[in-house]
Amino acid sequence: MTAISLGAKKVKNRRPANSFLSALPWIGPAILLILLVVVWPAIELIRISLTKITSAGVLEGFNGLGNYRLLFENPDLKTIAIRTVIWVLSVVFLTVIISLPLAQLINQNFPGRKFVRWAMIVPWAASVVMTSIIWKWMLELTSGEFNLTLRQLGIQHGQPVDWLRDPRFSFYVLIWVAVFVSIPFTTFVILAGLQSIPHDIVEAAQVDGASAWQVYRGIKFPLLRNSLLIATIINLINVFNSFPIIWALTRGGPGYNTDTTTTFAYKMAFVEYNMGPSTALGVINFGFIMLIVLVYLRVTKATRDQA
Amino acid sequence: MKKIGLRRLSAIAAVSLSATVLAVVPAHAATTIKIITPNYTDAMPAYYADLNARFEAANPGIKVEHTNLSWDDILVKGRTLVATNSTPDIMNLNTFSDYAAADLLYKATDIFDAKTLADFVPAFIDNSKYNGTAYAVPDLASARMFFYNKKILYTSGVNKVPTTWAEVTAAAKKIKAKYPSVYPIAIPLGSEEAQGEFAIWAGGNNGRYFDDKTKKWVINSKANVETLKFLTSLVKAGLTQPSPASTNRTDAFKLFSQGKVGMINASVFFPSTLKDYKSKVDYGVAPFPHSATGKSITLGVQDYFMAFKKPGNDVAVKAWMNFLFQPTNYAGFLKAAGGFIPATKSASTAVDSSLLPFIAQLPNAIFYPGDLAAWPKVAGTITTQVGTGVIYDAKGVLDKIQKVAVAAGTK
Repeated sequence: MTAISLGAKKVKNRRPANSFLSALPWIGPAILLILLVVVWPAIELIRISLTKITSAGVLEGFNGLGNYRLLFENPDLKTIAIRTVIWVLSVVFLTVIISLPLAQLINQNFPGRKFVRWAMIVPWAASVVMTSIIWKWMLELTSGEFNLTLRQLGIQHGQPVDWLRDPRFSFYVLIWVAVFVSIPFTTFVILAGLQSIPHDIVEAAQVDGASAWQVYRGIKFPLLRNSLLIATIINLINVFNSFPIIWALTRGGPGYNTDTTTTFAYKMAFVEYNMGPSTALGVINFGFIMLIVLVYLRVTKATRDQA
Repeated sequence: MKKIGLRRLSAIAAVSLSATVLAVVPAHAATTIKIITPNYTDAMPAYYADLNARFEAANPGIKVEHTNLSWDDILVKGRTLVATNSTPDIMNLNTFSDYAAADLLYKATDIFDAKTLADFVPAFIDNSKYNGTAYAVPDLASARMFFYNKKILYTSGVNKVPTTWAEVTAAAKKIKAKYPSVYPIAIPLGSEEAQGEFAIWAGGNNGRYFDDKTKKWVINSKANVETLKFLTSLVKAGLTQPSPASTNRTDAFKLFSQGKVGMINASVFFPSTLKDYKSKVDYGVAPFPHSATGKSITLGVQDYFMAFKKPGNDVAVKAWMNFLFQPTNYAGFLKAAGGFIPATKSASTAVDSSLLPFIAQLPNAIFYPGDLAAWPKVAGTITTQVGTGVIYDAKGVLDKIQKVAVAAGTK
């Protein structure tokens, strides 16, 4: 008894001092990789954002916060930032709202469930660029399937609607495509959550006479909290970073009408050759992502501690 | 003293989610030169493969590492290669001035002897000068004219091809009345080529981007505001394709090729594009319409070949550039590029007859201020912004671009 507890104590004492060193051979390569592909580019990113850089890409020495000043002087930045918030919140919200019942549906046992699940995962498994280009074809002005169908059904008369180029519609179309692409992942995360709910709790509630809605509202939904949190946060990151959908469908245009801070940073650098402010925006975007990642780590730690 | 960026431009790497993979080529003992060119057509890679094979056979000490890129890619690459310290030895691009300003380029006189240089069309070599010195050479050029669908125009009761803005509006109204599903005139102000579309309309109203006499940007001049308002009036009257601010030139060309557009501004290579699209449209070509106070102009646009100064590459880049511009090789280049105006006098004597009306327009050509280091930046801003002038306030949009241009400088 004593020996055992002594031994345990020893191990406990030794761990903080040596565990990192002794673990190094195993985690070393991963740390190296992270240093190389995450930390170093991040440092470079910040360094270049403090450097004067010409439109030809030539670095001309330290520039202090000059690039940041230029960025914040840009009259379009505010609108684009607000749009980015609307973009992220609405895509994530709609995705979760649509995914909740979908997960419920494919959690049921019905013939052909396998195929429904398979079909649902396709938009996620396919390359986002590919999906976006298919949507672009479908929504094309004169020859797109969508407008042709509307016309054949007699819903659309006169001039066809220019879904992707008309600024009155294009941003909503983008939101829809982003939701479409985000649904599979979200649904499957929620499905995993549903399947982890113990049967006995549900059965107990049913025996007590709870209606299906009461079971969902009072038992299943609260137990989905963790899955929902994780799905939401990962979607926040994905949607915020979402470049290919916007770029493939509208290039952020007309003007900056459908730009988010992500596409705007790219557009400034590679279309308008306005490199300096673009690097500053890159740092700000990176900082925002780091913030969400921190929240994610907090949340997962909280849920793990809970478990 | 300017310093070339030694490190990766990771800021850009972080925002551009699409990474392009560079082919890794083993090092040779001989001098290796890296050449990067855009694909004017799909025939370019095969042309260069043949050219480089013959070049390497004739120059045993030199190896060529050639990358063919789409225009979309090369516009991005052109910037990142310098920033990432992987500057190529030779590049073919639509701008050169900011590289010249950064002192990265050989002078044209370092590359070519006087006789070869004298063969370039003077107007084009003048556009290749930065601070009075040529740092690039023209590879080809284009001019634009007014294309119209003969059947649509003539059957709508338009008996004379419009030469003025008023006649354009009148003809467009007639076409709309006769063919409700046709877009009478296409005005592509999307980011692909808005700077050209606006320049040619404004040019016909004496509007320019840069005033060569006063050395000032004049983007928000009265003439330019008037032009943008005129284009807006066509849009508001429903005489154009929908959403001109986001219609790219390629989209508009396709609509014309399908017989859905009556009139359009198009470039010298448009006939070969129409052939590629297997278009059945019977088209006519006319000088570009102008305003009541202006005169007809054409927009001359040229691209450039430039050689980057790198230790020990002078002999090799000189050899390759001279090889490219040997008459037979250059003729092959023009053929592969498809329907452009030659940049040399000697090649101009043997052009296809379809080019002649465009060459005849060249004396009336206006050009971009491509010799200013600020031009790439200003042009980029015009492409993304000018189209929004038909949605919002024309003056406000041009004021905004003017501000960017003034900040970019006039050097």
